[in-house]
Amino acid sequence: MNDKIETKDQATGMGQGHVLDLKLPIGWLLSAYGLLLGIYGLATKKEMYAISLGFNLNLAWGILMLAIGGSFLLTAFLKKDKAGS
Amino acid sequence: MDPVITLNAVDYAIIGGYILVMILVGYSLKKYMKTSEDFFLSGRSLPGWITGLAFLSANLGALEVIGMVANSAKYGIATIHFYWVGAIPAMVFLGIFMMPFYYGSRVRTVPEYLKLRYNEATRGLNAISFAIMTILMSGISLYAMALLFKLMLGWSLTGSILFAAAVVLLYVFWGGLSSSIYNEVIQFFLIWLGLLPIVFLGLKEVGGFAGFVAKLKEPLLHSVKYLGTSANPLGVDWFGVVMGLGFVLSFGYWTTDFLVVQRALASKNINAARMTPIIAAFPKMLVPIIVVIPGLVALLVLPEFSQTALPAADYNSALILLMKHYLPNGLLGLAITALLASFMSGMAGNVTAFNTIWTYDIYGTYIRKGKPDSHYLRMGKYATVFGVAISVGTAYIVQSFPNLMDYMQLVFSFFNAPLFATFLLGMFWRGATGWGGFFGLLFGILTAAVHYLLYRLGVLHYASDMAANFYQAWWAWLADFVVTIGVSLFTAKRDPKELVGLVFGLTPKPKAAARWLARPAVWGVLAIVIAIVLNVIFW
Repeated sequence: MNDKIETKDQATGMGQGHVLDLKLPIGWLLSAYGLLLGIYGLATKKEMYAISLGFNLNLAWGILMLAIGGSFLLTAFLKKDKAGS
Repeated sequence: MDPVITLNAVDYAIIGGYILVMILVGYSLKKYMKTSEDFFLSGRSLPGWITGLAFLSANLGALEVIGMVANSAKYGIATIHFYWVGAIPAMVFLGIFMMPFYYGSRVRTVPEYLKLRYNEATRGLNAISFAIMTILMSGISLYAMALLFKLMLGWSLTGSILFAAAVVLLYVFWGGLSSSIYNEVIQFFLIWLGLLPIVFLGLKEVGGFAGFVAKLKEPLLHSVKYLGTSANPLGVDWFGVVMGLGFVLSFGYWTTDFLVVQRALASKNINAARMTPIIAAFPKMLVPIIVVIPGLVALLVLPEFSQTALPAADYNSALILLMKHYLPNGLLGLAITALLASFMSGMAGNVTAFNTIWTYDIYGTYIRKGKPDSHYLRMGKYATVFGVAISVGTAYIVQSFPNLMDYMQLVFSFFNAPLFATFLLGMFWRGATGWGGFFGLLFGILTAAVHYLLYRLGVLHYASDMAANFYQAWWAWLADFVVTIGVSLFTAKRDPKELVGLVFGLTPKPKAAARWLARPAVWGVLAIVIAIVLNVIFW
């Protein structure tokens, strides 16, 4: 098994270079969900939330997810700034 | 038959969003797949937190979640044994003691370790059986997913099978193990976000833990207290739980199943590799929150599971019925997406395990040796395509033979327990020889099969199927252990120079990290202590 890099091409494989920062897709996905659920929560009537014991769970959970997604994005962008790319 | 749940446009938007992200992640990883190591092992470049969460999520499949909620409704709090006794010690052991040999030896797969440590026959036995079982499991879970969505949501069976297969094929073909791992980490967050609402609402409705104590029968509330008695809901005694589940079954799965071990091998260095299962152990201890609590809640709030009569519905439908009971559209879509995510990443995990073992251990060993790396990378991509095709084919066959699912789980269990004995001796006793390993493994598997037959024929008696399962694992392990030692004493020894890096005593110990907080041993011990404390609290 030869672990050495054999061609210049291989130099940009998983082992080197900048690979997709996972915080970005997680951040975008959760933020998008948060916005969607939050707006949906605002747009819908109270009766729908009888099954969730009266809580407008779409709105509440939407805000929570937006916050979590947002913090992922924030950490990802702060790291990028620090690296000065 | 009408579907149990109706989804609206917002729910579908949530599901669609996730599918899109999975495909985009695969697409953006495409350009990094330059070598076979990039494709099958993520170039050994991933940080511990990613491999750790992927390690856990690979195990936290949808069938596991649904099945454990069902077990909780059936057995009560004793179900936590699957998480605390039945997982934490094994995960910590893997990280602290076995990873130095797995990762340090630079083997690319579990069978490859067996080849280097024992002999070609041992590798062949493991590689071929695992490859077959894992790709069949992929098809079986594909079918289980399609069936669930058909019954619950009214989706077309064929449509779900082909659609899910197409999405998984696409992102694994493009991004290999990395796609699988990244999507598993996303799945981890979705599972918690999708299922926690049920936990909160459920606890509120039943009146918190006090509500459980007031309304549920005593044996359902204790994990340890009733184990030795006839009121024991699990039907398994002390020895069965500790040695069967806690030791053999649990260690057999966590330390040798390539589907989970592969994630640790993708780590960027030995410390990250050792930390992978240990990082996974902490959230693992919390999983009972989203699995055991809903199970107990189901008993109290769902009319189908009222404790006075026999259940009106299969326990496996408890989770879906809870979703219908509590979740408005919107959050409902999120919960369904979490299940869909788990199903698909489970299938992706099986496909990546299959294409790796096929390419390195079967094709690259028995069919075409000595080709340049680009040849094997291409083979890996082809293997992904035919792996998915086999899965789809299997899904169709399972339709006509629904019991196949249970038989597959059963057959898998014949192999895991003995394999653990083989690894234990291989990694910690330098006297284990090649043929010792092979015959030990063979006898262990046969013991499991024979034990099962004797139980089914009524020759052996146990209090429950679960007890039989735990004891079968124990005897299979013991048979492998004894035969391996026995045969090793009479066959040719390996040259110790060849075993460097593979066995305790012939391998330089990894340098302990300077920072105390970076040492796997520290976190491992912490995980075990917390697990013990939790067991005491819920005893």
